[in-house]
Amino acid sequence: MSDEPASASETDADTGAVSDLVGIWAPRGNEVRVVAGMAVALALFPFVFARMPVVSDLLQGYQSLATLILVWGIFALGFDLLLGYTGLLSFGHAAFWGGAAYAAGVFSQHVSGSPILMVVAGTAFAVLLAWALGFLSLRRGGIYFAILTLAFAQMMFYMSSSPLAFLTGGENGFTDVETGELFGTFALEAELPSVVGLLLGTWLYAFVAIITLLCVALAYRILNSPYGIVFRAIRENEQRAEFVGLNVWRYRLMSFILSGLFAGIAGSLFVIHGTYVPLSSLYWTTSGEVVIMTVLGGTGSLFGPMIGAGVYLYVENIVSGGHPFEFIAPFWHLILGLVFVVTIWVFPRGIWGFVRDVRDYVTGGEN
Amino acid sequence: MALLETENLVKEFGGLVATDDVNLTVEEDERVSIIGPNGAGKSTLINLITRRLDPTAGDIRFKGESIVDRDPHEVVQMGVSKSFQTASIFSDLTVRENAEIAALAAEHGSFGFKFLEHRDSLTGVHEVTRETLDAVGLLNQADRTASELPYGDKRRLEIGIALAAEPDLLLMDEPTAGMSPEETEATVDLIEEVKRELGLTFVLIEHDMEIVFQISDRIVVLNRGRVIAEGTPDEIRGDPEVQEAYLGGVDL
Repeated sequence: MSDEPASASETDADTGAVSDLVGIWAPRGNEVRVVAGMAVALALFPFVFARMPVVSDLLQGYQSLATLILVWGIFALGFDLLLGYTGLLSFGHAAFWGGAAYAAGVFSQHVSGSPILMVVAGTAFAVLLAWALGFLSLRRGGIYFAILTLAFAQMMFYMSSSPLAFLTGGENGFTDVETGELFGTFALEAELPSVVGLLLGTWLYAFVAIITLLCVALAYRILNSPYGIVFRAIRENEQRAEFVGLNVWRYRLMSFILSGLFAGIAGSLFVIHGTYVPLSSLYWTTSGEVVIMTVLGGTGSLFGPMIGAGVYLYVENIVSGGHPFEFIAPFWHLILGLVFVVTIWVFPRGIWGFVRDVRDYVTGGEN
Repeated sequence: MALLETENLVKEFGGLVATDDVNLTVEEDERVSIIGPNGAGKSTLINLITRRLDPTAGDIRFKGESIVDRDPHEVVQMGVSKSFQTASIFSDLTVRENAEIAALAAEHGSFGFKFLEHRDSLTGVHEVTRETLDAVGLLNQADRTASELPYGDKRRLEIGIALAAEPDLLLMDEPTAGMSPEETEATVDLIEEVKRELGLTFVLIEHDMEIVFQISDRIVVLNRGRVIAEGTPDEIRGDPEVQEAYLGGVDL
């Protein structure tokens, strides 16, 4: 891990032939730092959360939840590309999350249980679906767009609940997931050897963490590509964007498809993590959850939505179990609502916006 | 061949005829101003040319090609750029990013798949961005957020965005509306400079007669959607019909 940034900065310094060869893949700006920082965070997270003495007792975290937080984090990250950057509120992203989960599950049953191939299959399904639904929903803007996406997602929910029950398991959800070993050798639920095992825990976490890292790198790339600036321009002033000669409609569709891609990756990982697809993964509450996570963490930022996902799932899984106070267990929904209201009230730009404000205040600098 | 031509252009809103059989021709390297009283149909005419509105009848040709079936962004890509009456900018973006958007669209077309390429590698875009900001005098404020600019600078940025699109024809809808006298003067200087240095063809809509007479090669007078006079500033100044209909009989 430690020699990776060094070799990358050599590439940076080496102009001419090497950069021509590496071309667009060469990391630029802060990319190496962001990815390396994320790698460190991902490596330490499950240890601090689930195994570190004292701290983990305080947090009451556990390994499986750490993995789940990353999975939802990817979902929220992609969702923010659409909501925070392009300014489109989709209320039907359950279609891509649940759709990918079903696709990956069915794929594992009938074709191959390779986790990597399952992710590829689920993601491909989600991308194609996002293309089709985006094509239909983006005809309208604002609230009509939100309602259209919601309607399409609810159609998917209905389809898998009964007409397609022979394939999806209907009300019971899809139970025939047959996840194989990673590269045919490593069982996902097995512990990693020695120190790596102490840090990361299971192979499953390592697998999800590597994909999370790739997703963060991809999202960072997108945000620093022409797309990043075009998306924000469309959010700020759609008409002006059209009148500088940009095809707003096609950029919006790309934004929708890209966020569908992230939702697809996350949905596929969700089925690998749970080895089960609940019917509720297509229900509108799932679409609502990702909206709440994204807004809670802070729209228009790379890490905010992931933090939002973490806080949301923490309350849903740990606080609901009676931690830190036994008596609040039945009221966990209320706690979640309070966390949301207070956060948005006090820090309209979410948790990450608050973190940035504090950083600006401490460093005293602008930006 | 004329750069821009409208042929029997008509636009009706319900019973109201906003543009009535307008035949407008703009030659290359020409500076044309469109004047007329409020409600004369000046903005409607501009909105028809930029494809914001669909004409009821007639044809619009740019470089000899009909554009009535094109989308607004396609017309911009062909080389028709517009600066808006209000400061239509990207408020939350920096001044540099504002110009960068337009330069990006001009250099790399209306759409592309470059979502894995870093913006820093698009050197052509950065060059155009720099030049444009320098031209409108905002280069030293490039890193400020656009919403922080004073109104006059926002309008200059607005013109900058239109220029960064590298147009063959620039349509300016009241570029000095709402400006202080000093800001107006600076903007007129800017337009004069653009005219001199870039040799740009432009169509100007303006209320301020002084500006119009100062910078136009030709003036088109609209009243109730119709062209009532057309000619050089001197001809328009002396036209009795114009004085009657538009200037209220006041001798200029």
